[in-house]
Order: sequence, then structure tokens, then C-alpha cells
Amino acid sequence: MTFPLPAEGKALWTGRLAATPGSVVARWIPGDQSEEAALLKELGLHDVEELFADVPKKVRLGRLGVGAGKDEPDVVRTVDQILDRNRPYSKFASFLGGRIGTRFVPAAVDAILSRSEFYTAYTPYQPEASQGTLQAMFEFQSLWVELTGMDAANASLYDGATSMGEALLLCHRVHDGHRFLVPASLPWEERSVLENYATGFPIRIESIPFDSRTGGLDLAGLRTEIGKGDVFGLLADVPNGFGHLDEGLFELKGILGKVPLVIGADPLALSVLEPPGAWGADVVVGEGQGFGMTPNFGGPLVGLFACRKELLRVAPGRIVGATRDVDGRRAFTLTLQTREQHIRRSRATSNICTNQSLVALAFVVYASLVGARGLAELQGRITERAHTLASALGGIDGLSAPRFEAPYLGEFALRVGRGSARAFLDRLRRRRVLGGHSLADPRPGRPGLGEELILTAARDTTDDKEIQRYARAARAALAATGAA
Amino acid sequence: MTFRQARYDEPLVCELAPGRAAGEAPAAVPGLPERWRRKAPIDWPELSELEVVRHYTRLSQMNFGIDTMAYPLGSCTMKYNPKVSELLARRRTASELHPYQPEETVQGALEILWRLEKGLTKVTGLPEVSLQPAAGAHGEFSALLMVRAYFRERGEDAQRTEVLLPDTAHGTNPASAMMAGYTTREIPSKDGCVHVDELRAAVGPKTAAFMLTNPNTAGLFESEIVEIAQTVHDAGGLLYYDGANLNAILGMTNPGRMGFDVAHLNLHKTFATPHGGGGPGAGVLAANERLAPYLPVPRVVKRGRKYALDYDRPKSIGKIKTAYGNFGLDLRAYVFLLSHGEEGLRHIARRAVLNSNYLAHRLARYLPRPFRPLVKHEFLLSGAPLKERGVRTLDVAKRLLDEGVHAPTIYFPSLVEESMMIEFPETESRRELDAFVAAFERAVTDTPENLHAAPRHTSVGRVDEVLAARQLLLSWKDLKAAGANLEAFRR
Repeated sequence: MTFPLPAEGKALWTGRLAATPGSVVARWIPGDQSEEAALLKELGLHDVEELFADVPKKVRLGRLGVGAGKDEPDVVRTVDQILDRNRPYSKFASFLGGRIGTRFVPAAVDAILSRSEFYTAYTPYQPEASQGTLQAMFEFQSLWVELTGMDAANASLYDGATSMGEALLLCHRVHDGHRFLVPASLPWEERSVLENYATGFPIRIESIPFDSRTGGLDLAGLRTEIGKGDVFGLLADVPNGFGHLDEGLFELKGILGKVPLVIGADPLALSVLEPPGAWGADVVVGEGQGFGMTPNFGGPLVGLFACRKELLRVAPGRIVGATRDVDGRRAFTLTLQTREQHIRRSRATSNICTNQSLVALAFVVYASLVGARGLAELQGRITERAHTLASALGGIDGLSAPRFEAPYLGEFALRVGRGSARAFLDRLRRRRVLGGHSLADPRPGRPGLGEELILTAARDTTDDKEIQRYARAARAALAATGAA
Repeated sequence: MTFRQARYDEPLVCELAPGRAAGEAPAAVPGLPERWRRKAPIDWPELSELEVVRHYTRLSQMNFGIDTMAYPLGSCTMKYNPKVSELLARRRTASELHPYQPEETVQGALEILWRLEKGLTKVTGLPEVSLQPAAGAHGEFSALLMVRAYFRERGEDAQRTEVLLPDTAHGTNPASAMMAGYTTREIPSKDGCVHVDELRAAVGPKTAAFMLTNPNTAGLFESEIVEIAQTVHDAGGLLYYDGANLNAILGMTNPGRMGFDVAHLNLHKTFATPHGGGGPGAGVLAANERLAPYLPVPRVVKRGRKYALDYDRPKSIGKIKTAYGNFGLDLRAYVFLLSHGEEGLRHIARRAVLNSNYLAHRLARYLPRPFRPLVKHEFLLSGAPLKERGVRTLDVAKRLLDEGVHAPTIYFPSLVEESMMIEFPETESRRELDAFVAAFERAVTDTPENLHAAPRHTSVGRVDEVLAARQLLLSWKDLKAAGANLEAFRR
């Protein structure tokens, strides 16, 4: 077998690479020039360049301009120097929360995740060789089913927001209508993701205003909108965008009738709350990062997705099922794959292929280490911390903590009565307090929630000293605002 | 190679101590009204740390990983995942960062994102990059939303309703087009590459984009790429690059030079971030000047010596996931880029393509190779001749597992009967290539009886996928409900 020789071209890089000690050629690309030469000889070739004869000269490159490679000590030094410019939240009294949590991660979680048979594996398309991943994903599905009270769960989506997007499309598939309703309090990022998932379809996403006292859905407004018809689904979240439990949830199914209900729920909250199945949910989605993962600056996260059994065949994502092998032993395998893109192509229920398997593993390992009772106790402790924080902040002139009158667990909305929330947070930071995050949409000119609202969260490790520090820093920040 | 995978009769974690917490009310939660309170605790066990660690360690031993086995999955680019990346990604200065921390406190993280983006603009030849998508398919979807926004602004959105793709396209391409509300149209291949005359006949005022992988899933470089780009652009359409197979052309050519308008890359393929048993991945969007204004927000910018998140992009499609992408993986990819540098990147393509051609050459003795002999990072074999002996590609794939090597990608692309798609990335040595040839020979020459009975040395034998789809037992709750039927699983 011979290949046509490439045309000569001065601009083309044709140099050979020596395996110098420490270079990637020695470390990660095996063999030296003699190995390369031996492989070429088998092919009857002299130069690797001949293998690129099918790439037209017109599109060939000279140099990329990415600089020379570095050996391992140099890489570690360079990257550490950059990372040292970060100041992790653990160096502050941190009250950051929202869908992404900063709970303590037991060392055993990362020990399991560091098993390279897990983290260097591919998607378990060959079930006989992949029972480890498959059984762990079956356990992950089992846990989300337990927490939600739903019939079935998938083996993860990208994050909580994209799970909402997929739920929106599922509702659109099974129910007539063009309008999808969401709470006005929904975090702006999730709203934006939903709008993107709706872009390709005749769908309008509409906000249901919140009750100014409780922050919950304005039920009278919701009834009116449902009455107008053409609604194919409603999303409600627990806790909602203000961190509160919306008492209106218990009435939703009665108002919606046959219109599908999507609940976005925090998994730790579900360890102490009635499962969403009890509120009539058709789909339950959530963000699972808080179980066993540090935030990693926002990714990887993990999208949770469960639904009623009747919706399973139009649901997105991989699903693991139990079966048996040829000898009758229990075994696990991917199932219902005919919904998926690699089989159904343009008629698939979703385009998702790669999901968040390893983060899903962290989720189930974390819950197994903490235990059912432990999860509920943890939520109890964090809730107590959040209430203590609210008491400490609520007494400060210029703050409403919490802003709304409704039950809450580990987080709540704080209203800054003087100056903007961003300026307030900035002043706190200078006193080594990360006081939460602004709920305003940072995109210029976007109507959204007011500039004065902050979502603030307690952590499992929040102690009295940190709460006092927040209160002191808040007083000082407000005093500075008043003076200015 | 003698291979025996671990075989534990390992119960589900929920079966290790069922119901230990049952009957107890969950712990009291301050301020929680009674109507909200969960009445029965979740059915999940209380275990010691050792019990949990032992359980999941055993499960890990019933898995294949790159660290233990070669993984010749075509289009998946299962290369070695460097350990130094794992070390650095676990630094507290990387992991204990909340995405909503003030910019002043995350300058290092923003610098990593900025530097990686700049490196990837050079690798792709496209001037602007966003790291927000979580995976390749997510990148495809996002890019098509950008295409839609572009045509909407030009008043052509209502008219350009069609996405074209070759019949060799990854399944995610048509599925992403569907998610973005486009209809799809397949362009037939000729000798494994896009039939350019068919493309010419298909493009027109309805064309929004043509999605192309180059090299394609047959492992062939689309040498007529310049004509293809010209054809699509002449019709007013945009050209989309699926970067799943970028490994073959690193530093040799790039999407920008080939005329693509927008591209996605899979950092979990080309840039060696671990696949994690199916995820997380990291998609990257790269766009030319025409489409860059539509990239998701925020964009990472450098102002003087400070890095910042810029939300002021009025034409942006907005958010496609929470926060800024899979930072933990972006960091690993940056380590990979930094380690390789200019010449290292080019050497990746050279060695990956050399490995692939060598292996294709050696394996052509056993099964026919469709199309022209010169391939890039992967190649196809057809298992069709095996059918005479009552054997299928699936049987060979299962038999290879018994040799201690992962099976190739099978039955894709569908334009080749009984196809096997094989990719040995640059991190595999000649020793592994030759071992695979020997394993392949033993597999295809084995008796039909043995092939049908394979695998015998994996944690379980051939799995009944039809039964799985019929009984739909998808959770511990389903298994409990099935009750007596559970015995069917026991030995």
C-alpha cells in the first residue's frame, strides 16, 4: 500500500520530534523516533507527513503560536502561580448559595471519585465490562426516586438549569399549548436557559408575579393565566428563587388540572420535605452538585431529572435498568436507548450524549456516607443556622432579613434598604465576608428582580462567630453607605 | 493477555442495610410547618465509611478504564488522562471557588479561562471562544441557536429552516438541529466522503447551516473542504464544525482555515479531560467574526491587568447553563495545552494518525476496509463477511472484552454494513497496537460457539438488553415492588 507523496511546501512544518526527557513526547506520547520509523516502515513510508497528503495545501498551517511546551515541574509552578491569585470562599465568612452549594465534602467522596476505573471509563455502552458505572448510576437513579417520590429517574443531565430546559420540552411534547409559565422569582440564569431551550419552538415563556408579602406565586394571577388557556406547563421551584418554601405549592395541582407541573427541587430539602409527588408533580428536576462536590467555580454540576412512568418514553437522557446476564445473574444495562440521539437521530427526545456521570457518582456516594437520617439532620442544622443568621441581620436598621414572610430552610432573600446590593456586598467583602449574591440580572437593560435583593445562605459549617462577623460587617457597610 | 475482571455479587448500596432508619421520623427542622414535613424518611441506609468505601471500590473493580485497558472506541478519542491535571484541579485554590464570588477574589480562575480561550482561538483558527457548554452536543445546540440569532437579525430566520448534514454525521448533529427547531436533510456520501454534487443540489435559500465533521466518522479527511465551504457560503448558509475528531488535525489545519464559521470542541476528547464513565465533558464554542457577537454570556475579558466577566453583549443568546462552563475540566485542558505547546500538539496529530494507519494496515488482513486506504485518527472495518459463519460484529466486540481490551465503536456509521470504528490515540504505544492485532486475530478466528458465548471473563456474561427494556426496573423502588421476581436475579 502506498500513498501519494505530498507536495513540497516550505511553510509546512515537517520537523521530527525528539523524545527529550520531560517533554510530552516522552511522558504522554510513547516511543521515540525509532518506534515512529518502525511503524512507518510497515506502511512503506518514510515520513509521517505523507499521512497528511489528503489535507489540501491550501488549508495547511504554519505555526499556531501557542508557545513551547512545558515539563511537569514548570506546569505545576505556572498553574499554581495563577491559582494563587484566587481567594477561596473558605478564607472568608461565606454565605454564598443559590443552586450551587458550598457544603463540606467528606474525604471519602473524592477517594472514590479518584478510582481511575471510574473516572477514566467511557459511557457504559458495553455493559458486561461496565457493571461498576452502571450499578452506581442505578443507585443514583434510585436515590433521586426516593427523594422525589417519582416513578423513575434518568442517569443525569448537565445541570439544574438544563434539566429545567429539558422538562420544558418534555411538557411541550405531551401537552398542547404555546405558553409555559414560570415564577417571576426564578433566577435569571435559569430563565435565560429556558428561553434558549424554547427558541426553536413556538413557545412563549411567561412570568407569574410573586406575592409581595410571601414571595410565593400570586395564585390569583396564576388562575387567570391558566383560565386564558394555551398553557402547556408550569415550573415551580422548592425553595424558590428567594430561598423560601411557597405555600401556594399545595394548591397548584388543583389550579392546573391536566396542565403538567414541573417542580425544581433542592435534594437536601427533599430529605425533610414531603416529596413533590405529593404535590402532583409530573416532572421533578434539580441541581445535585451540593451532594459531594465543591463548586469548582460553577462546574461540573449535575442535573437531576425524574418523572412519572407514563412520560418515560419521551424523557431525555440515559437510563439504566436492571436485567440479567446469560447465566441469570443480576446485571445492569443502559435501556430505552431508542429515545436517544445515537439511535433515533433527528427524532430523538434530546440531543444529550455525554452527561455528568462522575458527579452523579459523587451524589450517591455522598448520600450513602451521610445516610438518610444524616441528611435530614444536616438540613435541620443548616436551617437552624440560617434562622440564627436572619435574627442577627433582621435587627439591623436598613436590612430586611428575611425580606419575605414564608417558611425557609437554609437560605433567604435579604433586602438592602440603603444603596445597591452590589455596593453592600462589596463593602462586606472588604471585611472578609461573602454575604451572598445579588438577584439582579447583570445584563444591561434587562428587567429583572430589583437591585436591592441578595440571596444569602447558611452552610453546614457556619458558626456563631461568622454570623456575628456578618452582622458587624453589615452594620459598618450600611453606616458607610449612609455617610456617603 | 490473560484477563479476568473482578466478579463480586455486590448488592445495591440500598441493600447493604435496608431500612435501618425506617420507622423513625426525620430529624426536626426549626420553623418548618407540619404540612411540609416529610412523614416517612427516605429508604436509604446508614452505613459506616468503610462499608461505603468498600462497596464503591468493588464496583470500580467491575469497570474498564483507560488506566487499565486500551480503549479503541472510534470517535471517542480515549487517550491517557494526565495525573498532573487531576492534582491541579483538586487544589483548594481551584475547587473552593463559588461562581458568584466577587471578581476580585477569582482573578486566577478568570485568568485560566482567558488563557485557555486564547489558546483555543489559535488551535481552531477562529477568533472568539466561549467555554460555557457542558458537552459536545450542548455546544452543537448552542451554536445552532447562534446561527438562528444571526439569521433572525438578518431577517432570514423564517426562510432558513433546514440544517444539512452528511449521512456519516454523529447522531448528536441531527438531534441538536431538532432541538434548535430545524428540520434536517442528509447528504449522501460518495466513497465515504461528502458527495459535493449532492450538496450543491441540496443547498439553497432554505439552508441555515451544513454540519460537518472533518476528518469524518469514516476516518477520512474531507479533501474537498474548500469546495464544500464555498458551496455552503454561496447559498448564504453557514458552515458548522463538529470538533469530535479534531485530534487528527491538531496543528495541521483547523476549522478557521478550512472555512468554518462556528465550531465546537470536546475537551474530554482532544484535550484529555477524563470521560468519568460518561461525563462530565466540556464543550467549547469557537466562532468567527460573523457569529462571535452571539456567543453566550458572560465573556471573559482582560481590562488592563484585571480579568472580568462581561455581560454587556446585546446580541448574545444569553445563558445555556448555570455559571461559566465546567471549570474543573477547563483547568485540566489548560494543563494539557500548556504541557504540549506548539510542537507537542502537532505531534499528537502525527502519532494518532500514524497509529491509526498502522493498525488499519495490519487489520486489513482479517476484515475488509471500505473506502480509500489513507485514513486519519480512526478507520472502519466491515464485519459483513463474518455473517457467513453466523457471527456478527457484536460477537467480535464482546469477544474482544475477554482479551482485556475495550470493544471498538460498533454499528456506526451505518453506511458500512456491520461496521467497526477503531481509534487508537497518540498515547498508545506500538506494544499496545500489536497486542490489539493479536487479540483481534484470536477474536475473528475463534469458533462461532465461543464468539456467541463471549464474554466469559467480564464481571457478568452477555447481558439481556431486551429483558431490561421489557421489565423496566429502573430503581431500587422498582426492584422492591417486583418482590418475588427479584429471585430471578439471584444465582
